[in-house]
Amino acid sequence: MRTKQEYLIRYKDGNLYCELGDIWIDPSKPVKKALITHAHFDHFTFGCEEYISTNETAILLKERVGDNIKIKTFEYGEEFKINGINISFHPSGHILGSSQIRFIFAEEKWLISGDFKLQKDQTCKQYEIVKTDYLISECTFGLPIFKWDESNKIANDISKWITNSPEKTSLLFCYSLGKAQRLLNEISQTNFKGNIYSHGSIHKMNNSYRELGIDIKDTIKIENKKKIDELKGSLILLPPSLSKGSYLKNFKNIQTAFASGWMSIRALRKRSGYDKGFAISDHADWDGILEVVKKSEAKNVFFHHGDSEALSKYLVEKESINVLLFGK
Amino acid sequence: MSLKKFSELFGDLDSINSTNNKIEVLKNYFLSNDPIDNSWAIYLLTGKSNKRFISGRYLKNIFSQIYEYPQWLIDTCYLKVGDSAEVITLLLKNKTNSRKKKLSNISLNELLSETIPALSKLNEEEKNLEIKNLWETLPEDNHLIFNKILTGTFRVGVSIGLITKSISKLINIEEEIISHRLMGDFKPSIDSYEFLINKNINLQELNSKPFPFLLANTIEDKIFKNSINDFQFEWKYDGIRMQLIKRSGNVSLWTRGQELVNESFPELVEKMSHIKDDFVLDGELLVWNFKEKIAFDFSLLQKRINIKSPTRSIQIKYPIIFIAYDLLEINGRDIREIKLENRRIELEKYFLKWQIKTENNISDIFKICDLIFPKDWPDALTYKEKSRENNTEGLIIKKKASIYSSGRKKGIWWKYKVDPMQLDAVLIYAKGGSGRRAGLYTDYSFALWKDKELIKFASAYSGLTNIEIKELDKWIRKNTIEKFGPVRSLKPEMVFEISFEKIQISKRHKSGIAVRFPRITKWRKDKKINDADSLENAYKLMKKIS
Repeated sequence: MRTKQEYLIRYKDGNLYCELGDIWIDPSKPVKKALITHAHFDHFTFGCEEYISTNETAILLKERVGDNIKIKTFEYGEEFKINGINISFHPSGHILGSSQIRFIFAEEKWLISGDFKLQKDQTCKQYEIVKTDYLISECTFGLPIFKWDESNKIANDISKWITNSPEKTSLLFCYSLGKAQRLLNEISQTNFKGNIYSHGSIHKMNNSYRELGIDIKDTIKIENKKKIDELKGSLILLPPSLSKGSYLKNFKNIQTAFASGWMSIRALRKRSGYDKGFAISDHADWDGILEVVKKSEAKNVFFHHGDSEALSKYLVEKESINVLLFGK
Repeated sequence: MSLKKFSELFGDLDSINSTNNKIEVLKNYFLSNDPIDNSWAIYLLTGKSNKRFISGRYLKNIFSQIYEYPQWLIDTCYLKVGDSAEVITLLLKNKTNSRKKKLSNISLNELLSETIPALSKLNEEEKNLEIKNLWETLPEDNHLIFNKILTGTFRVGVSIGLITKSISKLINIEEEIISHRLMGDFKPSIDSYEFLINKNINLQELNSKPFPFLLANTIEDKIFKNSINDFQFEWKYDGIRMQLIKRSGNVSLWTRGQELVNESFPELVEKMSHIKDDFVLDGELLVWNFKEKIAFDFSLLQKRINIKSPTRSIQIKYPIIFIAYDLLEINGRDIREIKLENRRIELEKYFLKWQIKTENNISDIFKICDLIFPKDWPDALTYKEKSRENNTEGLIIKKKASIYSSGRKKGIWWKYKVDPMQLDAVLIYAKGGSGRRAGLYTDYSFALWKDKELIKFASAYSGLTNIEIKELDKWIRKNTIEKFGPVRSLKPEMVFEISFEKIQISKRHKSGIAVRFPRITKWRKDKKINDADSLENAYKLMKKIS
């Protein structure tokens, strides 16, 4: 057994760190060299000397935070070297541009899953199975109570939810990058043919997706609405941060919903304060995590981002897979 | 008409917040389904069926057996979900997908009148097999309803009042009439549903209607400028406000929430029906300590009201009393326009007559409220302070010259409540909540100082806002010292103001004291743990009161 310090990648100050290359993965503080798995803000921090990501992630990041960050980009599957380590990005299916990162050093393979899902999503590349010796996986939804429905079923539920209340304005809250575009893509294939509006932050991301060649239905920027009555019977996509506070006073006769994996649990749905919850996630469910663990052929697995206790115990007991703990 | 429709109804009711929309959804359900399924729906929604066919634990066990699923994993999931029926429903999604069997489109009636009752006739092995079979043949979105009915935990945010309102809207008949029809032993059948939606009202139904209740306002300083002789003083009981009606021989008990509760208190209905006169009384229902002549805690009453058709032994265990404080109608004559002081004279006169003339003894279940006669306002204050001794909440002060109007009209009835007792205590343990609070640490234990040690003195789970609960939950996860199952011991750091109604000696607790209705009234972020109260302060509080 090696000590924790001897692993190629380990936890340092709450972040994934590779000492040999002095590389941080999605660091939460400014560092010299940061590999970025995807363009969500909880995986990005300002002030790093150099960022490295896929091309799509770089474009989305710049659209969100401005041009004055230095990003080096690589294609999926393209290998590059840092201090003798071979590194490559691979599609993780989470959002457009999202990636797993593979490290190979001295014939030992390490794979950082990044945020990932296996479900079909027409707005980004499908998760690619990558073989590895060591797997560092997220486990946001690491319990068997999480089992996602097909996304077209959820989209149909959403469509029904809107059309069943034609007198109302339907506000659907979702993350502005990734979830919103996936929903737009799915909803445009349902029976709902009314107007769709989106908040400026979502609208901006829609445009970026389109520029990157993803087919996203055109929406009206909600800031451009002329009068409140035109919103009746239509769908408005908004970021969750606007669900609390006075923003909702801009509308009348509304129904609200939240699109998130957590909405599969009734208690959380009730507590969320939204009228309705749609359980759709860009993270893997229990089966998804198990599938990736098995197909990666990893002999050693680390988990982060979630409650890993039950998942670890299950893998050790049922699948005889060695689950290791990070010393935090 | 299928179980599927009912599952959809459940889903709709569960995700609609507006009362009006719920009524609309219910109305449409009733319009589009069979009378027999409608009657079952009403039966379920009004909570008339809480029969538990199997326990939540048993449900988890058979799932574990059938699908070779580790019990600990199910238990871990339960901590997140907080409901056995729902955990199994969610886990089933992972298990029944690959099924080849033909899905059944069973009706609500068939499920409830045949399939589920038949389960109890099977031996354990057969029962487990049958449940497995049902899981695999029922459509997935019916699993939750099925599991909830099995475990007797079917509940949805629909009150009996809401059902009453929707049927009332459906057939355009007043709610009170529907309430009356829903009373009693509602057996699901085509007949019972047809009776419910019958547009012809009979006389007895008309006769049972209560008057709108007169409500008290919180006291205002200006009242102390008035002469004390203008007012009637009563103890403020912590019971269920009720109108007790007897018209043409029939007794009805109506709560302030327009609920007819005859079924919960049959002994009162029976006794009162022996009185010869007809009347409408306004008063309070309590579980009564006949020895000490004071009310028992409200918690006992709550237990009691939740038991429909209580057995004789329940009636003895939780003896009730109706304390009347007003007479609103006597032998068909509405006397609400008469001044309170004169209504009181009538009330006393009739009560005396009933006590003497009624064949059965009524005073073991019915009395009129005692009046208090303070000399002046300071004296009234002294009475108020003493109200804890007889388990009342303070005083009710009524203007003698007032008529019985309706609603919370100012200047007629005042409530003068005693202040709660308070101590600042340190949070030392937290436990995960269940149901709506699942996945969050919401049950807290608090401690007081004894020398240099913190001694647990009370547990509380109410009083924080949802935002505070989330904030505290985060803090708890970061500041755990040890985990014991669902309980975490915490770094002593957070101070809370705990309010309670009563404090007494208790040998069962390490602290030596027990408090009633402890609740969090303030998160004292401004206080350090050394500022928290000591046990000694608690003892002092106790002395001050007794």
